Amino acid sequence: MTAAAEASEPPLPASLGALFCEFFKVSLAGFGGGVVLAHRVTVERRRWMSEAEFADALTLCQFLPGPNVVGIAVCVGTKTRGAAGALTAFFGFAVVPAAIGFALALIYLGQTGIPLVQNILRGISAAAAGLMIATGLRLMNRHRRDPRAVAVALLAFMGLAIARFPLLIVLGVMAPLSVAATLFVRKTLP
Amino acid sequence: MSAILQLTLYLALMASISFGGIPPVLPDIRHFVVVAHGWLTDQDFANFFALAQTIPGPNMILMMALVGWKVAGVTGAIAGAGATAVPPCTMYYFGYRWWDRFRGAAWQQVARASLAPLTFGLVIAGGAVMAGTVDETWVAVGISAGAAVLLLATRSNPLWLLGAAGLLGALGIV
Repeated sequence: MTAAAEASEPPLPASLGALFCEFFKVSLAGFGGGVVLAHRVTVERRRWMSEAEFADALTLCQFLPGPNVVGIAVCVGTKTRGAAGALTAFFGFAVVPAAIGFALALIYLGQTGIPLVQNILRGISAAAAGLMIATGLRLMNRHRRDPRAVAVALLAFMGLAIARFPLLIVLGVMAPLSVAATLFVRKTLP
Repeated sequence: MSAILQLTLYLALMASISFGGIPPVLPDIRHFVVVAHGWLTDQDFANFFALAQTIPGPNMILMMALVGWKVAGVTGAIAGAGATAVPPCTMYYFGYRWWDRFRGAAWQQVARASLAPLTFGLVIAGGAVMAGTVDETWVAVGISAGAAVLLLATRSNPLWLLGAAGLLGALGIV
């Protein structure tokens, strides 16, 4: 099935149960790259948001404080079911997994590390890093013919990944620059 | 002021200014709980960080639950996790509704066109930084690259890719 065909189909219903279960799964399988699975569930599987709406929510969360991926869950819940949806997605993504994780952590703190578990986690975290890069590239795909957007993404990438500037610095410098570039392009190319 | 109240207020403040996630404010939190108050040792703090990374779920919320647990038991854990999660999530909720209300406005189109590619660049960079941290062997680098290519080329379910990578890890070759 092509991406265009997927996007033209109507969204699946967003019951509170579905919101809870999907974000519970995203959270438990996220391993630091929850945005990958959140995108998969929200845009491709359930079609609760279009690609553009998801990009909007992700951008908004990036520019608000806090653990950003939790924000995606809250935004999807808000969009589909209002305050009740936001609360349900929050419980599915954050509250219940954190409670389970807390119990596991207390058990683990009583033991010393189990090598097999650590080996498995090493494999998973390597794949998770690659998936995160792929998701960013896929989101960027729509903008690939826009030299300004590509330049902004490339500079942000280099600032964070290569120069290793703090995120706050990259955001603080790049956001005004990017807005200025957008306004300039709009004025010169009507 | 009781320790639990001090911790809650401090974490709520840190969460409210944690642009780009909790990790950038971790040094401040460490200073507050280890140096200023002595509730945890440096080793506790480092252990909780590592542990939270290996347990699936929202790892920074879990880490602050563990910090709170050290300060005041289970009540402290709930306070720590709540202080970290609730203020940002309130902002996400109202932020999204506010953004939705102005859908289509001219300023919003400029903001979207400017900030979306910036966000995507940061997501790619986040993956690259993570790969740099966790990929200790060439096999691990290969797994990262392979997972990225497979997701882009085949639209396969990420969970299968993560599972396959976990299996390779279990074989002890990563």
